[in-house]
Amino acid sequence: MIAPFLKYGAFGDQASLVVAFLIGIGFGFALERAGFGSAKKLVAQFYLTDMAVFKVMFTAIVTAMLGVTLLSWIGFLDLSLVYLTPTFLVPQIVGGLVLGAGFVVGGYCPGTSVAAAATGRLDALVLMLGALAGTLLYAEAYPLVKPLHEMTPMGAVTLPQYFNLPYGLVVLAVVLMAVGGFAGATWVERWMASQGASAPAAGRPGRGPRVNRRLAAAALVLGVVAVAAQPTRAGRVTVASDELAALAARGADQVAPTELADWIIAGRADYRLLDLRADTEFAAYRIPTAEHVPIARLLDSGLARNEKLVLYADDGVKASQAWFLMKANGYKGVYMVTGGLDGWKAQVLFPRLLDGTTGEAQRENALLRSRAARFGGTPLAAGSAAATPAAAPMPVTPSVAAPSLPGGAAKAPARKKREGC
Amino acid sequence: MSVDERKAPAPYSNPYLAGIGLGLVLLAAFVLVGRGLGASGGFSALVAGGVSAVAPAHAQRLEWLSNYLLPGTNPLQEWLLFEVVGVFAGALLSGLLAHRVRLGVDKGPRAATGLRLGMAFAGGALMAIGAALARGCTSGQALTGGSLLNLGSWVFMMMVFAGAYGLASVVRWQWR
Repeated sequence: MIAPFLKYGAFGDQASLVVAFLIGIGFGFALERAGFGSAKKLVAQFYLTDMAVFKVMFTAIVTAMLGVTLLSWIGFLDLSLVYLTPTFLVPQIVGGLVLGAGFVVGGYCPGTSVAAAATGRLDALVLMLGALAGTLLYAEAYPLVKPLHEMTPMGAVTLPQYFNLPYGLVVLAVVLMAVGGFAGATWVERWMASQGASAPAAGRPGRGPRVNRRLAAAALVLGVVAVAAQPTRAGRVTVASDELAALAARGADQVAPTELADWIIAGRADYRLLDLRADTEFAAYRIPTAEHVPIARLLDSGLARNEKLVLYADDGVKASQAWFLMKANGYKGVYMVTGGLDGWKAQVLFPRLLDGTTGEAQRENALLRSRAARFGGTPLAAGSAAATPAAAPMPVTPSVAAPSLPGGAAKAPARKKREGC
Repeated sequence: MSVDERKAPAPYSNPYLAGIGLGLVLLAAFVLVGRGLGASGGFSALVAGGVSAVAPAHAQRLEWLSNYLLPGTNPLQEWLLFEVVGVFAGALLSGLLAHRVRLGVDKGPRAATGLRLGMAFAGGALMAIGAALARGCTSGQALTGGSLLNLGSWVFMMMVFAGAYGLASVVRWQWR
């Protein structure tokens, strides 16, 4: 396993910017070749006179999809190290509708506007200015839209995972859908032309239908091959010692028990909580929503390396060992619950109430009480020398209903720079 | 190149061949850096850089841009921003080779230029908001996430087509 090259340390972050520029050149070149530097050509998709947007986009999707599937099958590319944007269902539905509306109003999508501006389209340049204004507006108005922005987090999840289907089968389904869609799109274009609609800025149909049929046949063959392909998820990565040390020093590898409690209450699903203790201990008590993964099975339990994983055991030691083990094996988003289950007891189930009558202390105490009650614990009175948290009787694992209290979601721990678009 | 000398623009490529080219570029991004293509993220980095240059204290309060404004990092040293600059260069190169670089406004013959530019500005602003909500645009979500079989990307892609088809008849006057 040697790819992604950047993540296996073949080059550094500075060099990756040069790579970014070169990849951008290829991207821009392909967009302009396809005719996507013209708004009339692009929007013809939505008037059914020229379906090039659909054809180019789905050909690109099929090409890259077959590529990653087959390269990861032969053990060249570690697919679990390729960044997968987390799914937030509701904001992505709303965002898609808004972006689609903007596309047909403005005539370009963000990427094609850059290609169009490069070839002298002033409307594309104005659209880019509009996009900058819209971005600034969003950043300024973020406190207002944040509840919508963070609604329905589902974590990094693929269609095969969500529908519990073999990866290769979904790949074949996409290929079949695309090839069928191309035939349908061509039929629609012909029908529209026969109705007298002129195809705006239509290009030459290429080297003819024979080439297209051969390409479709090749895609279908590769799609059938892909059914056998299970993307490999094993492999080794180099340990970036400096990065690990920096994470540990900043405490960025930790999730506070109270923070975790707030995530559970808010019904967040963009992370997985893993209990590393023995079977009997897990059966006796576990933090609600936790999954049981003994440390010995951690690396072959099918966890994806681009998922956000939160680990805990009794105290911090076992979890730290597991954290390092996972980091050394290329798991990107691994965190520990601070203090493990002991920390959970001391801060969530049986927290010591603050001594004080100030408004702030009262508010904090109310929060501690409601959290403890929610998870079946009881706060300890301030200053009392009563039972230590560890000795207190453990509550029966309460079932916590998914999405309930809104607005309780805590801020996620500081991440490295975003990789998404 | 003077106006008289310029050659007629070459016809566009076969969409399937252009698509394969685009797909191979995307595959190269996955293999080289473990991430896909993007565009709107480059715009965000530019805005983050701009705001922090003009009003650094205010920029720190903008939570949504905070990922671009981590201490010790320069928002303009953003992968997607370099990629977007590359898109400009690559499209210019392709356009020059095919004699398709022309200064002008793309619109229907009967649509007024000012109105068309206003629509372009509004469309750009709408798309920025949509891309912010969706965590990506047609490049970062539909294309990249689509080929990785990302659940949210496929939902997003269908919604983009739904939104565009839904509004297409209302704004058709631009292209007539």
